[in-house]
Amino acid sequence: MEQNRLSERLIRQREENMKCRHAKKLISWYVDDELSPDEKKDFDFHIQECATCREELEETQALLRIFASAERFSAPFGFTTRVLGNLGEKEGSPLRGLLAVKPFFLRSAQVAFALVVITIGIISGNLLLAERTDTIGQAAVVQAVFSLDLFQATPPDSIGGIYSTLMRPSHES
Amino acid sequence: MRKYQDRVYNFCRYMLQNPEDAQDAAQDVFMKAYRGSKDFRPDSSTYTWIYRIAVTTCLDYKRKSRRERFRREPLPEDLPSDEPYPDQLYESKESTEAVQVAFQNLPEKLRAAIVLREMEGLSYEEIARVLHTSMGTVKSRISRAREQLRHLLKKMKAG
Repeated sequence: MEQNRLSERLIRQREENMKCRHAKKLISWYVDDELSPDEKKDFDFHIQECATCREELEETQALLRIFASAERFSAPFGFTTRVLGNLGEKEGSPLRGLLAVKPFFLRSAQVAFALVVITIGIISGNLLLAERTDTIGQAAVVQAVFSLDLFQATPPDSIGGIYSTLMRPSHES
Repeated sequence: MRKYQDRVYNFCRYMLQNPEDAQDAAQDVFMKAYRGSKDFRPDSSTYTWIYRIAVTTCLDYKRKSRRERFRREPLPEDLPSDEPYPDQLYESKESTEAVQVAFQNLPEKLRAAIVLREMEGLSYEEIARVLHTSMGTVKSRISRAREQLRHLLKKMKAG
């Protein structure tokens, strides 16, 4: 008789423990309003009866209030500028970026375009040089026409001319 | 970018605790987002995608960072069982510090889930999408995180 009463008490105790264990699992979902109506009804009933679980529920609710009162941080001033700056540094020059990410056909097109630009540059450079050579030739003729060499400081039939002819090194020897 | 930067920075700040690491990590998040923008799938929201990058970046950062100034705070071992729960005792600044320290003592997976839930206000479903896991796992992680944080904050206040 006494043994039966003891085992009955043990069973009841175990059932109670099971309820608490289950209730403790549900606390977090209860505060987030994630329980079904039936689960919520059972939980509310258990909380009214069980002081331990009620205390844990209150502590969890207090924990949520602490989270709510904690500061929400904003990104520091100039954050965007720094990110964009870093992006610029890491990605290299814009030309490198253009060449880096394109598919093969687009890169081929870019190379072909670069070759055309270089060829045009070479041809136009040669043309310009040829024009410049003509200009230089004309300038040489003009320079020759107006050269001071046309004017002799001491013509041969003048006194100065005779003197300079006499003073040449060949006559000295 | 300005639309997301505060939320990403706030997330990094609570994941990594110190402002320098948080700023570096948040910058990395946007750099990765910029480079990986071609991998963005329209089936997930931009926030989910950005948070997903932020979670992996912060976890990597936490593992690699040598500049971690605030290591795990030593917690008092013994706690009187009748200690009152430190509810109204926390001012906003104290709450922030306490929450930051407590978060650092959580395992990584629990920390990411609880920061997304409590500091960023994401739903269980959104967290599941960010962490690439099931709703059940998220519920379980948040429940365990709260349980651990409850004990941690109690110990910290008692110490």
